[in-house]
Amino acid sequence: MAGKLTLKEGIKDGSPIFVGYFTTALAFGLLTRTSGLRFVEGILISLTNYSGSGQFLMMNLYNSGALLLEICISVLFINTRYLFMASSLVGRLEDPNSIPLKLVSGFGTTDEVFAVASFKGSKLNMQYMCGLVFISYIGWVLGTAVGYVAGTFLPEVIQKASVITVYAMFASLLGGETRKLTKTIFVFMLSAALNSLFIIGFSMSVGISFIISMIAATLFGARIYTDEEVGIA
Amino acid sequence: MNAMEMILLCALVTMVPRILPLFMPFLSKLPRFVKKCMMLLPVAALGALIFPLALTDFGTEWLAGLLGVTTAFFVSYNKGSMFVSILSSLAVTVAILLVLV
Repeated sequence: MAGKLTLKEGIKDGSPIFVGYFTTALAFGLLTRTSGLRFVEGILISLTNYSGSGQFLMMNLYNSGALLLEICISVLFINTRYLFMASSLVGRLEDPNSIPLKLVSGFGTTDEVFAVASFKGSKLNMQYMCGLVFISYIGWVLGTAVGYVAGTFLPEVIQKASVITVYAMFASLLGGETRKLTKTIFVFMLSAALNSLFIIGFSMSVGISFIISMIAATLFGARIYTDEEVGIA
Repeated sequence: MNAMEMILLCALVTMVPRILPLFMPFLSKLPRFVKKCMMLLPVAALGALIFPLALTDFGTEWLAGLLGVTTAFFVSYNKGSMFVSILSSLAVTVAILLVLV
């Protein structure tokens, strides 16, 4: 790669993320409203958490009446992958000792931002990361605000159906992963089956059930996947 | 439950895993098996994220939820973007709800 990365390049690389985040966050904004949260609280979630799966998980558990501790543990669990993403990001920073660069990169490392940054092929500098993180973050926060405010103008059937966007996002991620590696579907099916059994069959709390199902499917996955397939060869 | 407490605690458990490792480079040298499990965790989480809540959220109209996620999966499997995948899923769900309600 020739030359230093620029702020403009970061914004350009982040614009597809902006579009995806804005539309997904519309659903999230509406969800915070239908869950009975105030506008300020809805925006604050996206401002401080800035995490798609974590925020949707948090609201799902909140709505199903889970305990605060269950919610925090579940959100922490779903976020453990960031430990590894962030660890692998260290080696890609232009100046690994720059505290502002580490703070911006750490705060902004969502799944999508991580993927774009990782495949960039140049050392990541402050200008580029600011552009990439900023444009994605704006899409997420703005989408949440618009979704909260404009959500009620939508017809009732659309409002009801919009719940699906959450699950559609996850199913879409699954579709992409399954195309790359067919056995992904077996790990998925195990965790889906266990979670359904625990919640519907045993009336287990959603938070605890989620953790057990996820760990069981992870261990199963570790048996059927090779190191190369998970990218740690 | 206090919503503000939940929001800030969740922000904490989101931002600590994201930021902390950048200040602790030794974390990238964990045992291989632990590393492997961490990489697989997001895939394993998807199943429990979708089922059974995508069905139970719709109550008696659970079929709308089931066909909605199935649509999203197949659109994305056939290389549709996440945007197209979510929009198609929404369209199918609305259509099924209109038929059922």
